[in-house]
Amino acid sequence: MPSRNFALVHRLSGIALALFLPLHFWALGQALQGEAKLESFLRWTDRPLVKASEWAIVLLLAIHLTGGIRILMIEFLPWRDWQRTLAAIAAASALAIGLLFALSSTAHAQAWPHKPVRFVVPFPPGGATDISARLLGQKLSEIWGQTVVIDNRGGAGGGVGAVEAARAAPDGYTLFFPSGSVVTANQHIYAKMNYDPEKDFVPVTNVVSGPQVLVVQASSPYKSVKDLIDAAKAQPGKLTFGHAGIGSQTHLAAENFVNAAKINAVQVPYKGEGPSLVGLVAGDTTFLVTNVAAALSHIQSGRLRALGVTSKTEFPQLAGVPPISNTLPGFENIGWFGIVAPTGTPKEIIQKVYQDTKKALESTEMRARFYVQGLAPVGNTPEEMGRAMKEESELWARVVRERKIKVE
Amino acid sequence: MSAKSQSLLWIAQRASAALLGLCVLVHLATMIYAVRGGLSAAEILGRTSGNVAWFAFYTVFVLAIAVHVPIGLRAVLIEWTGWRSRGRDVALICFAIFLIYGGMSAVKAVFR
Repeated sequence: MPSRNFALVHRLSGIALALFLPLHFWALGQALQGEAKLESFLRWTDRPLVKASEWAIVLLLAIHLTGGIRILMIEFLPWRDWQRTLAAIAAASALAIGLLFALSSTAHAQAWPHKPVRFVVPFPPGGATDISARLLGQKLSEIWGQTVVIDNRGGAGGGVGAVEAARAAPDGYTLFFPSGSVVTANQHIYAKMNYDPEKDFVPVTNVVSGPQVLVVQASSPYKSVKDLIDAAKAQPGKLTFGHAGIGSQTHLAAENFVNAAKINAVQVPYKGEGPSLVGLVAGDTTFLVTNVAAALSHIQSGRLRALGVTSKTEFPQLAGVPPISNTLPGFENIGWFGIVAPTGTPKEIIQKVYQDTKKALESTEMRARFYVQGLAPVGNTPEEMGRAMKEESELWARVVRERKIKVE
Repeated sequence: MSAKSQSLLWIAQRASAALLGLCVLVHLATMIYAVRGGLSAAEILGRTSGNVAWFAFYTVFVLAIAVHVPIGLRAVLIEWTGWRSRGRDVALICFAIFLIYGGMSAVKAVFR
């Protein structure tokens, strides 16, 4: 090819690239404003038209470089014309192939999740929080094509797990799966906390909710709610109740019951709901107000006796067990389990987790599996969950103040 | 324009071209590493954020572009349009500043 043609092609490709550069800088500047925007930008670049434009630009760059390398060789190397042309084409082609290789693989990096997702559950296995997380995690694993790992971190009424999740990278690969009280009540109970539910987490979705059940050991002399209340009144401070940890949902449910019944009973904190049930079966405590999901198997196997449910009406899975409100009019206590994410998690990931959770909860199979556990699917939006958490936090602030529940 | 200025532009054009060739190679290697390594957007920004070496590299990249592109366009404008007034150089300097502004905005976002 004559030299003047090379120069012409070099210039034309240079002009095209010069026109493209401001657009490229502008798009990059916009995309790099945060992880969410970058994720979105990277997904956008995966569209066929954008991909075709990228390839065209790579081609232009290769052409421009070929001309440029050739010009440099003419000026600096005493080679023959065909040698320069060949060397320039070879160098530019190598570069173009490399660029195309990089561009063709960009799609692999973008889709979340591309590795296992961790649900930090702030209680040991066996409790309702753990059961809910495992049921949902299994379904989300199918939807995402990635394993959802359940990481049980019990202790400090859910505080140990909360700190673990709050300190995790906000990249969507660590999500926090607490029971409601860990993010709505603990801040009012603990004088010192290593996490701030309002600042460290953002709501994703409330997964399931359900009532609790007042249970005693199968060999207990108490056959009804009234029996238990009468016994507690007859011997104030003698009866004990276990719970999943100070500030946990089961602790607050029991405190709510004790408060409503106007009795004096001693609380015994455990590391989680599972261990508190083991303690009751072993006869270490008198009663529990625990989540139906966790207690159901113990009730069905005859190890525990259910005296009353905290919902205002009888609960289908515990037919024959009356509402506590039959004895204490107006009494109600509903627990919930949901997903929150470390603050800074990209909004698009939060939205995806919410959408996929909602989708999972809509499946008949999931509804049935939660139903037998005594749990009802919720799947509200992050905004709705945020509002509900705020309202609940205000409620618990009042209850905690009135009951003088405080951990220094 | 004096012969001295002409030769300065010539040197700047060639030197920036050589630098750009190198920068494109490094940029290419980075892209392949990031993408083939399966890094997420958060992980990519986590590595570039606060990294002075990346900031310096991309600043050099942008400056080389801001030198190379306007000089190349200058030659095209002179030969194809015959535009030889002072306005041409002013317009090209403005374009160079625009490129530096746009490029450095992106670099700043990577570094932040």
